[in-house]
Amino acid sequence: MNMDPIVLEIYRHRFIGVAEEMGVTLRRTAHSPNIKERADYSCAVFDAHGNMVAQAAHIPVHLGAMPASCAAALRTFSDWKPGDIVILNDPFDGGNHLPDLTMISPVFAHDDLVFFIASRAHHADVGGMSPGSLPLSSELFQEGLIIPPIKLCDAGHLNESVLSMLLANVRTPMERKGDLSAQQASHAVGQRRLESLIHEFGREEVCTYASSLMDYSERIMRATIESWPNGVYRYEDQIELPDNKSAPIHVTVKIEDSNIYFDFTGTQGTLDAPLNTVMAVTTSACYYVILCLMEDEIPINAGCFRPVRVQSPPDTLVNASRPAPVAGGNVETSQRITDIVLGALSKAFPDKIPAASQGTMNNLTIGGNSADGSPYAYYETLGGGMGAAPDAHGLSGVHVHMSNTRNTPVEALEMQYPFQINEYGLIRGSGGGGRFQGGEGIVREYRFLAEAVVTMLSERRHHAPWGLYGGGSGRKGKNLRISADGQRTLLSGHFTRRFYPGDILRIETPGGGGHSSDKNSRST
Amino acid sequence: MSAIRSCIGVDVGGTFTDFVVLESSGLKIYKLQTTPENQSQAILSGLKIFSVHPETPIMHGTTIATNALLERQGAKTALITTRGFADVLEIGRQDRPHLYAFSQTKKPPLVSRSLRFEVSERINSKGKIQKELDPSSLSELMSSLKEKRVESIAIVLLFSFLNDTHERQIETFIKTELCDIPMTLSTDLLPEYREYERTSTTVINAYVRPSVQHYLRHLEGGLKGRSLYVMQSNGGTLKADQAASEAARLVLSGPAGGVTAAFVTAKQAFSTDTPHIITLDMGGTSTDVALCPGRIPQTTETVIGDMPLRLPSTEIHTVGAGGGSLAQVDRGGLLRVGPQSAGADPGPVCYGNGGSIPTVTDANLVLGRMVGAEFLGGQTSMALDEGLSRQAIAHLAESLHCSVEEAATGILRVANATMERALRRISVESGYDPRKYVLVPFGGAGPLHACEIADSLGITKILVPRYPGVLSAMGLLMADLVSDASKALLSMMDALISDPSPLGAIIEQLKAIVQSQLPSDSDKAELECHLDLRYQGQSYELTVPLDLPAHPTSLKSACEAFHRAHHQRYGHSERELPVESVAVRLLARIPKSFTSPKTEELGNPSMKMSDYPRVNVYFSADQPHSTPLMYRDHLIPGCRFEGPALVIQYDSTVLIPPHWEVSIDQWMNLHVALLLS
Repeated sequence: MNMDPIVLEIYRHRFIGVAEEMGVTLRRTAHSPNIKERADYSCAVFDAHGNMVAQAAHIPVHLGAMPASCAAALRTFSDWKPGDIVILNDPFDGGNHLPDLTMISPVFAHDDLVFFIASRAHHADVGGMSPGSLPLSSELFQEGLIIPPIKLCDAGHLNESVLSMLLANVRTPMERKGDLSAQQASHAVGQRRLESLIHEFGREEVCTYASSLMDYSERIMRATIESWPNGVYRYEDQIELPDNKSAPIHVTVKIEDSNIYFDFTGTQGTLDAPLNTVMAVTTSACYYVILCLMEDEIPINAGCFRPVRVQSPPDTLVNASRPAPVAGGNVETSQRITDIVLGALSKAFPDKIPAASQGTMNNLTIGGNSADGSPYAYYETLGGGMGAAPDAHGLSGVHVHMSNTRNTPVEALEMQYPFQINEYGLIRGSGGGGRFQGGEGIVREYRFLAEAVVTMLSERRHHAPWGLYGGGSGRKGKNLRISADGQRTLLSGHFTRRFYPGDILRIETPGGGGHSSDKNSRST
Repeated sequence: MSAIRSCIGVDVGGTFTDFVVLESSGLKIYKLQTTPENQSQAILSGLKIFSVHPETPIMHGTTIATNALLERQGAKTALITTRGFADVLEIGRQDRPHLYAFSQTKKPPLVSRSLRFEVSERINSKGKIQKELDPSSLSELMSSLKEKRVESIAIVLLFSFLNDTHERQIETFIKTELCDIPMTLSTDLLPEYREYERTSTTVINAYVRPSVQHYLRHLEGGLKGRSLYVMQSNGGTLKADQAASEAARLVLSGPAGGVTAAFVTAKQAFSTDTPHIITLDMGGTSTDVALCPGRIPQTTETVIGDMPLRLPSTEIHTVGAGGGSLAQVDRGGLLRVGPQSAGADPGPVCYGNGGSIPTVTDANLVLGRMVGAEFLGGQTSMALDEGLSRQAIAHLAESLHCSVEEAATGILRVANATMERALRRISVESGYDPRKYVLVPFGGAGPLHACEIADSLGITKILVPRYPGVLSAMGLLMADLVSDASKALLSMMDALISDPSPLGAIIEQLKAIVQSQLPSDSDKAELECHLDLRYQGQSYELTVPLDLPAHPTSLKSACEAFHRAHHQRYGHSERELPVESVAVRLLARIPKSFTSPKTEELGNPSMKMSDYPRVNVYFSADQPHSTPLMYRDHLIPGCRFEGPALVIQYDSTVLIPPHWEVSIDQWMNLHVALLLS
């Protein structure tokens, strides 16, 4: 079958449409603020071999990690039936960190398996040593319930035993059940849409264009990389650890004709802190940077990444092995990996690469009991300053790079949980100075009305986000506890602590770095 | 006055100001060039030229509010918030506009930092005053407001939808010191939860209000006693003086008139009160689509210029594909159409104004689907140059390695695919089967693309209104007089069913508000009540009707309606979960009994197609069809004919491909149906 460039463009709309519609269903029927308000999820379509055909533009950190989930499901099962749904979260078998529960289900044309669809949503609690399941752990087992690829639904029948086992291991089973059924609903929608495409246009045409779309993206990607300067570029930056020490991450990027290679040799070995990442997350960070460097809007699928190789020696903090703790790797270390890849490429693309952004997601989990005695687990992340680009100021108070989740409205949060927000604003002057200034960080102050356990995973509390070409650094972040009697305590970037009624937690997120020196710029 | 009450509709667009005059003698239509610097100029001169009876009321669609907002020409506005929350407006929902881009910009907020003020006070999530409003913070505020010479003020405090005491205290305080500055309180405009969306909506109102007020006052002055009504985003009209204080309700009124007119036209044409139609309004840079399942759909989840505006508006989905969308081949070899547009200047290549990148209009022209010499009634100054279009598309065809006709049909297919995706989103993806709907195309280009788009969705019936190119102005004549208001009501439905009195009290409050905005003889106003409901724990609501008066039975059926709506929209419902109400909406409507004049004269039921001149039209790239060229003005009720045919008229062109059949009804609408093979 010949590829018609016009029909191909039409299929691009169709496949993206499937993934987007899954996302809309998931979000609108979910129960936890984390999915419905913050939109912390991704949906994608894969071909029968597990190659990603389309991913709705949701969360960059899921870019490389969604294909890994599909691959794990394919490794584990061969007896696919219509109505199957596989669920998993094992970071070492298709997952990224435990709170991200991924579902994968097959789509059939008559008796043949032709596509897979997948959804991943961050669940606010999956058990483990602290509410919210982003603990200061030293091994994976402390982080929550580990789910290898298993069938949650078998030929359309929900496996009640699996579900009850799962719900028995989490702090907020009703909310989990609601979110899981929202995820299932999104699969029903995705399946219906793909089936009707196949019914209308025939299996052969739909599959052919799925693979042509990947070839198309590969062509654009290679053409672009070929226009880049061949060379080898290196960079190193630190990830901050709970004990106030830090660990180096090192990258060597090689651009060679139409290929690009990332090698993390030289990075510190596996940590006994929850800041390791699995290879899929490291890969996501590299993919993200490449997509940002593209000048054309390109359909995001497996073809984009054929010219890209990412490698690291085993048992490093960017390529951890079981049972290393990984809770914060997905959300924090992934940001640092992005920074160092950008640092390396700043030498190849001085007119494109921005200064460092806030470099953290400021993960906050709060657990306790509501007024009626029922347990709750709340998760949110805070935006901060974006690094200035060579031609633009950085944005203030936004999520950067690997995340783009939204905030939870103060009025929604206070109606549901026993804490209040005293202040939510931008920190004036916290962006790095320069001809183009870094974006400003956010301040958010929580006042507790009842006892609660708070866990924080946050970075850039000691090493400020760097500027580029003479631009100043962004202001470092800060976590403070102000007790009911007014006593202020500076907290570490990573902590778990009990807060009492009247206590205040004040979080100040980092500003972005500035770009280019400029004597006439506003002082910051 | 005669049986038909006379009325004038004036719709101001970017290029033309459309007039539709309904008098006992019939319907008149005309267009004048818009006077952008002062829209009322074209309106007043139009009324003079056409000597309309001095008492005939005017129904007006204006873009004043929309332009003030999008072009940032609104008032110098101050925002007053709870201490600690002045930046909510700037942070928004903390997401960045583009996922994959290093260099990004956001438009600055409508109120700059130096004009955002905080006052010391706090209402908690139960509506209790936790901290009294501090009078000293008010006097500080007053001196700043005076010093900065603000022109409009927005007041948004946390949880004011539960307790408005502090917002009202601030209003009273400011009024005594600065009496004539307009103030917008979030508790008046949008007493609903979610602080960012409420702040954004309130600020938009404060920002556009002075411009709208000034414009409407000026226009009314020129009208010398003629009564003036304006179109709102919800598809209803309101007296101009009432509309001005809640000017944000006009911001999305532009596309609402067209949908209203399409709906009323379909009501008449199919003699039903609940027509099921999908509207397709294809303009120069974008296409608006709406699905009407027996009613005009309303939403409160609109975003304009990246700012949420949570007031009821006709639910319209917009995509960046229109007659002026540019067609280009990208570096991967794919043909892309839009979202970049040639705009009004230079416009499509065939306008001869220097454009060189082909557009959708150029593709239509090259394929013979438009007649260049007949564009806009055949004014020689507007004749289209097909040669220029052909040249531009030939260039594109070279990079695609295909013929000019293949490239041109390709452009149309890609543009149609974009519109098809929009139509799928509002139909299939929202749980509606498009095959059960009639497509109503309008705008200059809608009727050109309608049959092919219908085909791709399995739609077999199309209704082309008599004047598709001025349908928005027609809508002004057809729109009801409407006033609406809402209020947060966070309560479990079970609790309301056992004691509906809190709901009853809110409905009475809302009734007083909406009736105060209608003429005093408005006792015949119909009241429509809706509840925003969700399953406990969800964050998105579905709006369902509630029969008045509210009592346990009507509340139970509202719950039922919610389960059904949830099932329709998301494919499942969960009857075991408790249902929760979030907001109450009340709308008062004085219906307009508009009937467009019938034409009784019946034509020859079978027209001789051989009587018509022929033109070559490409329906596919391989070979042209010899196609009859017909003038819409010559068609009379009762006529029937089969495609292919090209029907041209002053304000649009209708393309009928082979295998489609046309019949004309007594209102001169074209009913186009797919012939069963």
